[in-house]
Amino acid sequence: MEPERWQDIERLCYAALNEEKSARAAFLDRACDGDEALRRAVELLLAQHEKEDDFLEVPAMEVAAKGLARDQQDAATQTVADLASVERISIGPYRLLQKLGEGGMGEVWLAEQSKPVRRLVALKLIKAGMDTREVVARFDSERQALALMDHPAIAKVFDAGSTPEGRPYFVMEFVAGIPITTYCDKHKMTTRQRMELFIQVCEGVQHAHQKAIIHRDLKPSNILVSEVDGKPMPRIIDFGLAKATSQRLTDVSVYTRVGTFLGTLEYMSPEQANSEGEDIDTRTDVYSLGVVLYQLLVGALPLDLKKLAYDEILHRLRDKEVPKPSSRIMSLGGDSAITAKNRSTDAPSLNRQLRGDPDAVVLKALEKDRKRRYGSPSELAADLGRYLRNEPVSAHTPSAAYRARKYVRRHRLGVAVAAGLVAMLAGFAVAQGVQLRRTKFERDRANRERDRATRITDFITGMFKVSDPSEARGNTVTAREILDKASNDIKTGMAKDPDAQAGMMQVMGEVYINLGLFSRAKDLEQQSLDIRRRILEPENPDTLASMDDLAGALEQCGQYAEAAKMFRQEIDISRRVLGTESPQTLNAMNNLADDLRYDGHDAEGERLGRETLDISRRVLGPEHQITLSTMNNLALCLESEGRFPESETLFRAVLDTNRRVLGQEHPDTLNSMNNLSFALFAEHRYVEAEKVNREAFDIRRRVLGPDHPQTLVSMENLGFALLCEGRYAEAEKLERKSLDGHRRVFGPEHPQTLNTMAALALVLSREARYAEAEKLARDSIDISSRVLGPENSNTAVHVYYLACIEARKGNRSEALSLLRQALDHGLAISWGLGMDSFPDLESLHRDPRFIAMVADVKKRAAANPGSGNM
Amino acid sequence: MPRSPSSEVSQLLQAWNNGDETAFERLMPLVYNELHRMARYYMARESPGHTLQTTALVNEAYVRLVDSAHTNFQNRIHFLAVCAQAMRRILADWGRSRRALKRGGEVPMLRLDEALDGAETPGLDFADLDEALKALAKVDPRKSQVVELRFFGGLNLEETAEVLKVSSDTVLRDWKMAKNWLRCELSGESLDGA
Repeated sequence: MEPERWQDIERLCYAALNEEKSARAAFLDRACDGDEALRRAVELLLAQHEKEDDFLEVPAMEVAAKGLARDQQDAATQTVADLASVERISIGPYRLLQKLGEGGMGEVWLAEQSKPVRRLVALKLIKAGMDTREVVARFDSERQALALMDHPAIAKVFDAGSTPEGRPYFVMEFVAGIPITTYCDKHKMTTRQRMELFIQVCEGVQHAHQKAIIHRDLKPSNILVSEVDGKPMPRIIDFGLAKATSQRLTDVSVYTRVGTFLGTLEYMSPEQANSEGEDIDTRTDVYSLGVVLYQLLVGALPLDLKKLAYDEILHRLRDKEVPKPSSRIMSLGGDSAITAKNRSTDAPSLNRQLRGDPDAVVLKALEKDRKRRYGSPSELAADLGRYLRNEPVSAHTPSAAYRARKYVRRHRLGVAVAAGLVAMLAGFAVAQGVQLRRTKFERDRANRERDRATRITDFITGMFKVSDPSEARGNTVTAREILDKASNDIKTGMAKDPDAQAGMMQVMGEVYINLGLFSRAKDLEQQSLDIRRRILEPENPDTLASMDDLAGALEQCGQYAEAAKMFRQEIDISRRVLGTESPQTLNAMNNLADDLRYDGHDAEGERLGRETLDISRRVLGPEHQITLSTMNNLALCLESEGRFPESETLFRAVLDTNRRVLGQEHPDTLNSMNNLSFALFAEHRYVEAEKVNREAFDIRRRVLGPDHPQTLVSMENLGFALLCEGRYAEAEKLERKSLDGHRRVFGPEHPQTLNTMAALALVLSREARYAEAEKLARDSIDISSRVLGPENSNTAVHVYYLACIEARKGNRSEALSLLRQALDHGLAISWGLGMDSFPDLESLHRDPRFIAMVADVKKRAAANPGSGNM
Repeated sequence: MPRSPSSEVSQLLQAWNNGDETAFERLMPLVYNELHRMARYYMARESPGHTLQTTALVNEAYVRLVDSAHTNFQNRIHFLAVCAQAMRRILADWGRSRRALKRGGEVPMLRLDEALDGAETPGLDFADLDEALKALAKVDPRKSQVVELRFFGGLNLEETAEVLKVSSDTVLRDWKMAKNWLRCELSGESLDGA
């Protein structure tokens, strides 16, 4: 508006005021002369002129004070606009505007960033007293990963630095929301709405995990909800901060005896509390999410840790059973009515709502042992989604955890068998114990479970009695002997409790598989399945698990067709009972695909593998263990079809995912490095295989220590790569170290130790140091014959190696005679079929006796499929 | 040699009084900081709802900032004018930070018509008012100054008239019309279509 125009308006306004009210309209008609805009402006002003109010009549300071008071009332739970704190303090490019809150770690300010962009940010100023340089350095190490996070449910962290006084600070996206629990209560959200909101939180955390960021400090005050387009939108703040400060940014703090700051323990996982932050993975966040979910559903924390001594808190976190959400609701006293009201329902209805699936899902997220928890936030979210869609949840079936066992088993190339045996059986007993605790309210069942626990304990004790000096013959007791005795005893010893008996048989069967004693495994798994078919319904998850394990044992015995039949039966039932897209069904399909590959039906196996992979990716997500296992097996299938580049690509994809999701040092990541290295071996890319194995070896040596079985496996694989590259001296050095380690760790007579002896023998024979090589090979044959038996497939392999040495030396007759011996005494078919391409047998390749032998092997393999051994 | 704020303010006031227009701008940050510090102090201590007198605050600032040797009527009036503008800036800044805070938050903004129709004006947006005053200053600078001096500076009719070198009647007429203008502007009924 031009000043002249305004003067016209003002003048007309005063003139009109001089007229009688009734005459003003006529006056303006004349005065404005058709200028409607002018007339409108004057009328607007005149309308205001009549008003008698306080506008600008109250002094500015007083208006401000009242506005401030009003803000404080409005924002009791939120940000307080505080004129008192409008400091003109700047930290770097950030001008502090208002203090938003204060906690144990420091204070949070609303600040304005001027460069490079003008925006409002939240600035977290850490208390003095921490090592600023270290904090900032740790943040810097995560900065790149943090920058990669881009998800609507994650508030971005922009920057970190230190004030001139040396206090570290973090700058993050400003989120004007309120804690998720407060928000849900305030809006009286129903259980369903809460779950839906919570799923969004899980998706955010999952995104961060994919970028290799673990939050470590998830709790309601770090999950803020604001409304976007009228819909609640959760935002997770403080990603990356807990790691940078290597402690928790919390409001209530406790100190350990050594003075380490620990933070709020309510949301902390047992392993976090235990290890003081050393041994943390993505499942730690799953636990914290479980606590938040518990609070959202129940309105109370799973464990009451208030006012407890530190030791007692740790004890409860580790051992105290978490009450089911549905039962907790009823034990809240007067609070249960409030809790129910905040969820727009009443207490009995809420109790009914939470019973069953919601109970199971929450408790699975809160498992003390992270192996039993959901593997990722997306799995937790998927189960909640299934519940909301009225589909069966995975949390209910206890077999879910060991359904993926096969995958693990395939990767476990060098487990310490005796240690594994003890661990597995102990694990079984613990699992039974957990079941016992779970059902302790059902009294009659509890009695039965207690008896069962006693029987299992007695049985295991009895098993190991053989290792007592009084019962043992000197020092030569082996895992094999313990197991043989136990598996004989179990038919009678546990007959009173067929359920537990079947469980034990199943576990022992698995141990036999690890020992390479497949037919014993097959027998036990068959017996286990027979028992379960007798006492349980065919649809029972345990029955299905037995079918899966028996099929696995059949496969190991080379009875691929029988295995396929069993897998198909399992898949039929699983599809019918659990659905075509359930994890169990997918896992069985994956196993069948793998079996088809073993049976030589590569194309069919590939087709089924791809079908499984499609469903699994869609239903379980690209990072689910079954998806990864399917990819892994499909890669093996492609490898077997000779399509090495495609196979390698898949192996690399599995490796990348594991690296990203689980981290570089996770056992699964290292296993997939191992598998990739085998693909590279197949492509004769030994240098790359060496590189991958060296990396795995370095990590394992650093993380697990030089004497860990897995470290020794990697050392041996690395030695093998060097052998293939023809770098015999280096290979020899490594194999010798590996042998020392094996002897120390496993003992001089352990099958793994014998394998290492054989590998070293092979290296020595390549170096033409035949005498040493031969001695090693003969020793390993002797020990193996004594420990595992002369007909054992492992013993046969050692004989085969000796044949290789003789062949190198040029003793063709001796070599052929040894090969015949191996073939007649249990050598695995795959070894026999590989003879004619084995480099160390090259001198025999043109010998007519060898050619006849190879033809014979092929004939026997074709005539007698399913024996597994020659 | 660093000078104490009080002697600096006094000399600037004197310079301004003597016709040095740049003195005003140099005075502003000194007064702003002092008033702001005091405002914070009082706001933090006052219980909500307790009346805060701008004049009391300004008087105290005057005592603090201006040498008693230089206290004369002219200086005092000029000082009040500086205070009024400083106070306007302080409150406009506060209003902006508060608005920015609320924009993303869930505390509902008090709508202006609510604020204006109420018996009181508890929710006046100082940032909006500041912008409206800037617009008013473009078409009618004196009216904008009247509002600044009276509302922000707590000056009475005579003091305002003295600063602006006009009669008290004119101040009153300006005051009334400025309020009409601002009410239109702040309620979104801009006269600009006119």
